[in-house]
Amino acid sequence: MTLQLRAINKRFGKRQVLNQLCLDVANGECVALLGASGCGKSTALRLIAGLDHPDQGSIRINGAEMVDVPAERRRVGMVFQSYALFPHLNVWENLELGLRMRGGTAGARDERIRSVLEVLQLSGQARQRPSQLSGGQRQRVALARALLRDPLVYLLDEPMSNLDAQLREDLRPQLRRLMIGGEQPVVYVTHDQQEAMALADRIAVMREGCIEQIGTPRELYLQPASTYVAQFIGRPQMNLLRAKDGVITGIRPDDLRLDSAGSPCTILSREWFGANQMLLVRCDRGDLRLVCPGETEIEAEPRVSWPSASEHHFDAVSGRRLPSD
Amino acid sequence: MTMLLAAPALLLIAVVFGWPMLRYAWLSFHADSVLTGLEPVANGGANWLRLVADQRFWLDAGQTARFALISVGLELLLAMAIALLLHQRWRGRGAVRALTLLPWALPTTMMALGWRWIFNTPYGPIEVLVRSLGLNSLDLLSTPSITWLVTVFADVWKTTPFITLILLAGLQSIPEDLYSAFRLEGGTPLQGLRRVTLPLLLPYILLSLLFRLAQAFGVFDLVQVLTGGGPAGSTESIALYAYLNGMRFLDFGYSATVMLAGFLLLTALILAGTLLLRSCGLLRPLDR
Repeated sequence: MTLQLRAINKRFGKRQVLNQLCLDVANGECVALLGASGCGKSTALRLIAGLDHPDQGSIRINGAEMVDVPAERRRVGMVFQSYALFPHLNVWENLELGLRMRGGTAGARDERIRSVLEVLQLSGQARQRPSQLSGGQRQRVALARALLRDPLVYLLDEPMSNLDAQLREDLRPQLRRLMIGGEQPVVYVTHDQQEAMALADRIAVMREGCIEQIGTPRELYLQPASTYVAQFIGRPQMNLLRAKDGVITGIRPDDLRLDSAGSPCTILSREWFGANQMLLVRCDRGDLRLVCPGETEIEAEPRVSWPSASEHHFDAVSGRRLPSD
Repeated sequence: MTMLLAAPALLLIAVVFGWPMLRYAWLSFHADSVLTGLEPVANGGANWLRLVADQRFWLDAGQTARFALISVGLELLLAMAIALLLHQRWRGRGAVRALTLLPWALPTTMMALGWRWIFNTPYGPIEVLVRSLGLNSLDLLSTPSITWLVTVFADVWKTTPFITLILLAGLQSIPEDLYSAFRLEGGTPLQGLRRVTLPLLLPYILLSLLFRLAQAFGVFDLVQVLTGGGPAGSTESIALYAYLNGMRFLDFGYSATVMLAGFLLLTALILAGTLLLRSCGLLRPLDR
C-alpha cells in the first residue's frame, strides 16, 4: 500500500467535511472518489496534496507520514479541473517553471519537456499562451506538467469536467497510457459515474465525509451497499419501489422486461437511443424506468415483469442493503 | 457601424475634453488680460516664448514632477503591502477593509483643512506635542525643505486606499488554483509572490500608476488648501500657477499656455514611462 489515509477528520467552521475517512491505494491502482458535490471528495484530494491540513488523522505515502510536510515538498502530481495553467507564461514556460525551481541542468530540462510535449502531441503549441489553446490542449498541458513532476502520487480533480463528451472519450486512453497503471497510486475525483467506471480499478462512493462503499465497479454495480450507492452507480438509475414491510426493493432498468405474462402498465414516456431505448412505465408498484433493445415493438396493452433473482433489497429506514437469503 | 456605435462616447469626449483643449490651444496664442480689456488679441507665440523663459514655471514643473513621482511611488508600495494583507483571510478583515477606504472617501479640501490644522504652528497637536517634549518648533508648514514632504504625506494618506482597491481587485482576480499548482510544483509561497502574483498583477499596477500619475501631476486642491503653494512657492504646482495667472493676475492667455504646457509635460512623462517599460519587456499584452 503506498497511499494510506487513516481516520482523517476535517471541519470547516461548523461543517464536518471529512469524518474518519480511511483509504488505501496501491501502487499502480486507480481509485475514483465518486459523490455529489459537497461530499468531501475534493477536500480529501487537497489534504493528500498538502493544500489543506487535516484536523486529525494520518496520511502516508510509501509509509512516510506526510501530514506535516508542506505541499511544495510532497511530490504529488495534480491535475486541476480549471487546469491552473499560468496565463502569463507560454506552454514551454509553464512546464519549465517547476523543473527550474526543483533544479537540474538546462539540457536535461529541455530534453524532458521536448519528449513530454511530443508524447502529448503538443510540440506545435510550445510557444503559445494557454489562452490560445483549445480546452483539450490545455488539459494535455496540465497532464504534461503533472508527469514532469515525477510524483509519488497522481491526484486528478475532475480533470475532464470542462471538456465536451467527445474529447473526454479521446482523453481517457491517454490518461490510462500515461498515468494510470504505472508505478504510482492514482486518486481520481469525479462526479461522473461513467468516467469512474471506465477508468478506476476501484470506486469509493462518498457521502457526507465518509466512504459509503468501496469496491470494483462490478461489485458496486452488482452489490450496492445502500440505496445511495445504488442510485449513483449505473445509468439509467436503479428503480426503487415503494417500501413494503420495511423493505425497499430495487430493480435495475436493464432487468425489467416487457412480458405478456407480467403486470399491466402504461407507457409515460419513451427515449430512443438507437441500440436501446428507455421507457418510463407506470404500474401498480409505481413508476419504473425500463431499458430494452431499440427494435422492441411496444404492444397496445404492455405488461412488465422482472426475475425475482434480480431484485436488490434495502432497509427502508437506514437504506442499507439487506443480506439476501 | 462600429463608428456609429462609438459615436455617443466620441461625442461626449469631444465636448468635455476636445473642445476645452482646442479652446486652450487657441487662447495660448492670444493676449487675454486686463491690458486687452479681457478681450482675446492674437499675439503670435509671445505666450510660449514667455513660458520658455519663465523660471517660476520650470521650478513649478520640477516640483510637480517630484511631488507626483514620489507620492505615487510611496502609494504603490504601501498599497501593495496593504492589499496583500487585506487579501489574506483573517477575523475582522471586512471591517478593516471598509476603514482603509475611508480617507479616499473624504473630500480633498476637507482632509487638507484637517491636516493644515494638525500641522499648524504653534497651535496644532503636533506642535503642542513637540513643545511638551521640550523640543524646538518644527515649523512644518513654513520650512520649504519640509513642507513639500507634508504635501506628499497628505497625498499618500488620501490616495493609497484608491490604489489598494485596484490592487485588491487584481489579487482577487487571480484564481486560487494557480497558487495551489505553483506550490505543488515545488515553489514556496514567497516565490509565488514573485512568479505568480506580481506578473498577474502587473496590468493592475500599470493601470493605477497611470491614473495616479495623471492625477498627482495635476494636483491643485490639496496644495491650494494645505499650503497655498508656499512657503516661498516651494509647493506650488503647475495647476496652481495656471490658476494664479488666470484668477489672480487675470491673464487668461498665459494661464491657458501654462495649463497646456503642463498637459504636454504629463503626456511626455507617461510616454517616456511606457517606452521604458516596453524596453524592459514588461509591457507585453496579458490576454487570459
